[in-house]
Amino acid sequence: MQWAIVIAAFLAASVEFVEAFTLVLVAGITVNWRSSIVGALAAVATLAVIIATLGVALVTLIPIGVLRFVIGFLLLLFGLKWLKNAIQRYSGLKFLHDEEAIYAANLAQARARGEAVGTRLDPFGVLLSYKSVLLEGLEVAFIVISFGSGGSNGIGLAAIGAAAAGVLVILVGALVQAPLQRIPENTLKFIVGIMLTTFGTFWSGESFGINWPFSDLFLLLLAAFYLVVSVLLITAIKQHQQRGASATTASEAPTLSQEKEVRL
Amino acid sequence: MNVILKIILAVYKFFVGDLVILLGITLTMVILALIHFVGALAPLRGGLGLILIVGVLATLVATLGREVMRSENKQKA
Repeated sequence: MQWAIVIAAFLAASVEFVEAFTLVLVAGITVNWRSSIVGALAAVATLAVIIATLGVALVTLIPIGVLRFVIGFLLLLFGLKWLKNAIQRYSGLKFLHDEEAIYAANLAQARARGEAVGTRLDPFGVLLSYKSVLLEGLEVAFIVISFGSGGSNGIGLAAIGAAAAGVLVILVGALVQAPLQRIPENTLKFIVGIMLTTFGTFWSGESFGINWPFSDLFLLLLAAFYLVVSVLLITAIKQHQQRGASATTASEAPTLSQEKEVRL
Repeated sequence: MNVILKIILAVYKFFVGDLVILLGITLTMVILALIHFVGALAPLRGGLGLILIVGVLATLVATLGREVMRSENKQKA
């Protein structure tokens, strides 16, 4: 019975930790690690204060639905903005970032100002990391309290299970982050846009009482769906641009021949 | 007044920066809230998830459509 509490808390908390850590990783890779870690630590501190103050009453006092709605709404705004920019770059509506040139220019500018490069706190990175860790951390606290309130010393056992899940997710994440940093900037922003939009849809939907099919696994299906639609949009915009370009060339051709005739 | 406007603009640019996205997502949330809270719309509650996903995609298509039109207008000019 006691092992059952530990294992159940471990499994349930793993899902929440993976969700939180994914967005911390995203903030670290796309913005900078300082902002991401500051956001995550600030969220852990907030969680510690909330849990120390409210204790078990947390389950009844924090309106998790409202929190999900606010965070989901903000993630949708951020996610769609990133996705839109990435789609525009892929389809040729916007120029692709020349990452190395931009990096070299930023490096030179920062050195000229005597600043350390890439370590300044970025509000977006801090906020993204903070809100994901806060929301998922609260959900882990809810899991620990609900799984642990059944038996004697249950909360302690559930907390051990959740803590083990947290350590495992952080270790795996630390191994995964190095290869992720080699992905080109626009590809990464495209993936991040899809992920933020997916999490935003999922959480804001849950706040309206939507029970997504397959529970948290639905996140993967939703991300795949958004990916397919985004690729279709890129293709459609590219084709539209090409048609527009060939129409312009065709309309310019008679004008050029008329000019030649006049010259003759 | 100028400072307040600048603050509002900075907050808007940080969180959204795109009016079509803000309006699209807000409208989707209002529709979901109406279906969720108004009793007369209860039969639609089974389709809340679908409405949310369609709303998100419609917003994305609308904002990209605006960018395509902008780019065409620039080329014409």
